[in-house]
Amino acid sequence: MKTTIYRIVAIAALMLASIAGVSAQRNGIHEKITRLGFEFEVNAGTSLGGATPLPLPAEIRHIDSYSPDLDLQLGLLVTKWLGNERKWGVAVGARLETRGMKTRATVKNYGMEILDNGKKLSGRWTGKVQTKYHSQQLVIPITAVYRINRRLKANLGPYLAFAFSNDFDGYVSDGYLREGDPTGDKYVFEDDSRASYDFGDELRHFQWGMRGGVSWAAYKHLVVNADLTWGCNNIFKSSFKTVNFSLYPIYLNIGFGYIF
Amino acid sequence: MNLKHIFAFIFAASVFMMSSCIKDEPLNAECDILSVILPGDVLNRQPVIGNNKITLIVRNNVSLLQPLAPEFTLTPGATIEPPSGTPLNFLMPQTYTVTSQDGQWHKTYTVEVQKNNSINLAYDFDNVRQIPALAGMCSYDEFYEIGPGGKESMVWASANSAYALSLQASTPSTFPTYQADGGINGKCAVLTTRSTGSWGARLKKPIAAGNLFIGTFDSSAAVSQPLKATHFGTPFFNEPVSFSGYYKYKPGETYCETDKDGNFLPVPGKTDLFNLYIVLYETTPELQWLDGTNVLDRDNPHIIGSAEIPDRHASDEWVEFSVPFILWPGKTIDPEKLKDGMYNVAVVMSSSQDGDYFSGAIGSTLQVDKLLITCKTQN
Repeated sequence: MKTTIYRIVAIAALMLASIAGVSAQRNGIHEKITRLGFEFEVNAGTSLGGATPLPLPAEIRHIDSYSPDLDLQLGLLVTKWLGNERKWGVAVGARLETRGMKTRATVKNYGMEILDNGKKLSGRWTGKVQTKYHSQQLVIPITAVYRINRRLKANLGPYLAFAFSNDFDGYVSDGYLREGDPTGDKYVFEDDSRASYDFGDELRHFQWGMRGGVSWAAYKHLVVNADLTWGCNNIFKSSFKTVNFSLYPIYLNIGFGYIF
Repeated sequence: MNLKHIFAFIFAASVFMMSSCIKDEPLNAECDILSVILPGDVLNRQPVIGNNKITLIVRNNVSLLQPLAPEFTLTPGATIEPPSGTPLNFLMPQTYTVTSQDGQWHKTYTVEVQKNNSINLAYDFDNVRQIPALAGMCSYDEFYEIGPGGKESMVWASANSAYALSLQASTPSTFPTYQADGGINGKCAVLTTRSTGSWGARLKKPIAAGNLFIGTFDSSAAVSQPLKATHFGTPFFNEPVSFSGYYKYKPGETYCETDKDGNFLPVPGKTDLFNLYIVLYETTPELQWLDGTNVLDRDNPHIIGSAEIPDRHASDEWVEFSVPFILWPGKTIDPEKLKDGMYNVAVVMSSSQDGDYFSGAIGSTLQVDKLLITCKTQN
């Protein structure tokens, strides 16, 4: 799956490079576009964050480790400035993003289910839970843009995301399961005994959320972008009950853009 | 400040934010009896503590007409009714209710005191009850014996409860150990080596051999230390002479071994074989039971003797066997220790003799009926 995203990134980069080359040669067209109030930006960046329950349920006793993947983002942004002052605008974009994280947490009396062979093992887990989440998405941000001064722009608005590849798996270890409820039979998992799970198929393909941030023009064409994306729906399908709380994707994105 | 520093700062800040969101620890939901003591030197064995049942085996000189006042250690914060240390009469089993610290959960324990408990010596496997598991999604057979007085005298142990976890079973006959028709006279016990499915394989335990034994099964150890989950033996006050009964055996098609990575690999030319034996051993404060790590270990100094079938083989017809109880080299039965209940006996059977190491053939089936331990008549 990794190779797919790199291939997409490579193709997108080539396309953008050719657009840049073409647009550089056609300054006349560029001027016309600018007069009409359009602004084109290609950007790349990375993000930091994860999918987290809000607030953390009391069953989560400790976050032992959290390591975000080095996420990649590559996108196009078109802004249409409004009015003569060009203070306000609307921006629509298309971005390819990878998102991933690894977490290790200690939980107490945490409701869990394992499904197999058409049957269900449910119970309460006390111990370690390791989770790996990785998603590749096409994100469409639709934002209102406000120009604060010559260099600084602020933007805010919703985004839509379509995940074309989803992984969510991990295992529980170093703890014990009470079968059914806290009074059920106790099964200790220690040493290398692990109960693994894979909920990749239970992840939603469509997500939406809010996105807001700033864009600072360091040079005439080069901007530095920083924004926060906040997912508004659970990353899991609503029919999925095993993880008994919702996980929301929250990311801080930082990147560079080139404005034509 | 370069990008790396910015990231380090954001990372530290976000971890701090997440940590600061950790809520107060919820009160304990469990309501276990963790340990039990009886004041005075009255116990002959360590207490056997199950999830809902506790067995206290006392010395022969303890009068059950006098009340006993067991003291319990519970899950932190839990409470027990009647309270720990209450003197009660244990001629009949007593019932205790433990309530969790959060007040949401209750568990009832039956506490039974045994003295000079003479187990049956003949086993017909005619009595089973069905134990529901996984919230009633499946149920398995539990064999028990009726004593001369018409009362239940003994419960056979098996790993059926842990097999439920593999999510492969539904009705009793889909578990590794179950009752079936077609015995010598009425019903018989059937032990079948079964696959534990994908989640058993992920735990590197791809099969579960049918097993049935006198002793207790400690399910908490079943996942990580399966050899230690089978506590073989119960106090025994007789001197065994021979072990007899009937068996049928059909080995499964492909014998496989589980390697250290959990792969279940065929071993060409090897055929599965069952186990069926009795073993007598001396208990000490350090060794309260034999388990899968040492049960027939020739170097185990605690073992007094055993009765094993030398020529066990596959057969579609019932095979009658009778084998002598043989003292191990240099071992004798001390009549005083026998009277004081220092010895344990275990009857052990398995559909795959290497099943405790997760080697065997899926489908291997052992049927057993009319077992008998013949003992020296006491003067």
